[in-house]
Amino acid sequence: MSDRINRRDFLKMSGAAVAGGATVAATGTAVAATSSIAAGVKAALPKAKGPRLVIVGGGTSGLTIAKAAKKEYPKFDVVLVEKRDMYSSCFSSNLWYAGLINLEFLADHSFLDAARNNHYIYFNATATGLDRAARKLITSEGEIDYDFLVVAPGISYDYGRIAVKDEETIDALRTTYPGGFISPTEHVTIRRKVQEFEGGVFVQYVPSGNYRCLPGPYERACMIAAHIKKNKLKGKVLVLDANPEITIKKEGFHAAFNELYKGIVEYKSGSAITGVDLGKKMLKTEFDSYHFDDASIYPGVRASTLIEQLGLMDPKSPQKEAMISQTKYNLIGDERVYVTGDSRPHPYSKSANTANTEGKYVAKVLAARAQGKDITWYSPRTVCYSMVSAAPMEAIGVDAGYVLNKEGTAVAGFSPDTKLFEKRNAAMGKTTLEWARGMYRAMFEG
Amino acid sequence: MDRRRFVKICGGSAAMLAAGLRTARAQPYVDFPKVRLTDAAGVPLKAAALKTEEAYVFHFPYRSFPCFLINLGKPAGAAREMSSEAGSYQWPGAVGKDGNIVAYSAVCTHELSYPSKEGSEIRYSATPSPLAEKPGMIICCAHDSVFDPAAGAPRLHGEARDPLLPVRLEYDAAQDALYATGLAGVQLVERFFRNYRRQLIAEYGAGVYKEPIGASSQAVILSEYAGGSVSTC
Repeated sequence: MSDRINRRDFLKMSGAAVAGGATVAATGTAVAATSSIAAGVKAALPKAKGPRLVIVGGGTSGLTIAKAAKKEYPKFDVVLVEKRDMYSSCFSSNLWYAGLINLEFLADHSFLDAARNNHYIYFNATATGLDRAARKLITSEGEIDYDFLVVAPGISYDYGRIAVKDEETIDALRTTYPGGFISPTEHVTIRRKVQEFEGGVFVQYVPSGNYRCLPGPYERACMIAAHIKKNKLKGKVLVLDANPEITIKKEGFHAAFNELYKGIVEYKSGSAITGVDLGKKMLKTEFDSYHFDDASIYPGVRASTLIEQLGLMDPKSPQKEAMISQTKYNLIGDERVYVTGDSRPHPYSKSANTANTEGKYVAKVLAARAQGKDITWYSPRTVCYSMVSAAPMEAIGVDAGYVLNKEGTAVAGFSPDTKLFEKRNAAMGKTTLEWARGMYRAMFEG
Repeated sequence: MDRRRFVKICGGSAAMLAAGLRTARAQPYVDFPKVRLTDAAGVPLKAAALKTEEAYVFHFPYRSFPCFLINLGKPAGAAREMSSEAGSYQWPGAVGKDGNIVAYSAVCTHELSYPSKEGSEIRYSATPSPLAEKPGMIICCAHDSVFDPAAGAPRLHGEARDPLLPVRLEYDAAQDALYATGLAGVQLVERFFRNYRRQLIAEYGAGVYKEPIGASSQAVILSEYAGGSVSTC
């Protein structure tokens, strides 16, 4: 039932992200604000009642840290800066495509409730600039002074990874064939695509690198295939994978493709997209080209562009991730500024469970440092289920931890207690839903 | 039951939690009116009749708060000092003729998964499981937490930090009867009510879910209680 993941698999999976760990002296330079708010205008916030911890980003990482930091050190005056005014989770969104959940499952969670239940401030604004020398975050709604700043903005897409550089094609891909791994509006679009699919070829692209939610594209292929199967459509899901093999839970996914969706899912490994012709609906790979009727093109990821805009990026990072300590998460040279979640440079799986467990650890780091102390590193945990069958619901899973290198400075591989659960079953199908409900409770309830 | 009454019944712990006091402190059991455990038909339970393959679910001290009753099939470990985020307490060990019987809250201390009529992610597995490998563990599959019920239910694996709440049992040897009389760590009960208020109101009715369970509580085998849908991780 369970298999260990070895170090080689780990390195393969994490790809280039393992490299890095550059150390560059931090400069206290201010990054220019693009805000239309005049410089010096303060955000309309209650006066801080303790050391102010400002968190940018209300995803799994930011919401977890806001709650946990307040719990760890109640003196913190926590402000969560989030540009969205309506939450909807990226995790579990694939289940919607097969009708296993509804939008309410993903979106019936309020930032206001999270803030009220956990005694912090939800501030609906977009971060636009940072003055680290003056410890000011600049937002679309004014400046916020901080004692500690956590930046957890998630990912941005990198269309350069599929050799698309012109803005017109990027815009067309973004709009018509969205990746569906960032924003709720993409999920709504993909749900509609699936419902309106009348047959032919639906391409699901899997990018290279340490992209968000390693099993996500394969799970989505299963969910779309389940829809095709249920509705007896004359169509198939063509999974074009930039990687040489399925990146995680490969036995479980291959079994699903072969046993549940024979003739409905076609899997092509080593098929990195090298060009697109949207007029002809063609995708080019090194040796082949493929026609598609509809698609979700997940082009590859980089850290959120905000990391670069705020001057927190490691210039040597292949995915433009943050230049932070791998064990303490602070920007190299600045113990007031932290980067967490999917903008981190660690080779962790970019998943909600990782962000949640990491967030609890980082909250402890912040609480300790606010009191002039420090704590010992411990690993986040990647507990991640993937639904492979819709009727009946059946899933596969992984439970992974991580270990540091000998020097204790960077993540080197999976922990020995890492396990894969690749034989799909109905019990894990139900667990997949309860896992998500637990995540929502972890972020929104008190 | 309203909050005031809850706080009164739960004694100082809940009030201290509300006041935001977080220093480690003794966390004594809170006494509740004695509840006799019965079988699914309401007939007083005989400890000798308890099966060892599965846990039983009963509700205590409130109508909606689920607990596990487990016949370990072998004597449990000795009484021991346990620590949790809210403080430390003495786990009194098992009861019964052979010291085999223990009870804990069936609510995972991580993110509160619990057995419902629709299914259960948390279970007692008498045999080795894919996740826990060792037999005789309480396992919550939602986020992979493992607890050892023979030793006071400390967490052995996973993101849960606190042990499962221990339920104090009283054993009447003459009648081979079991009673639940107390619970440690009642802060979790408040958290359970806060987190699930919507669902509990829908299932039990407004206010009803936090009423005391009464003089007796039915202990039902988990797989029957959960409609046959129990996790297997």
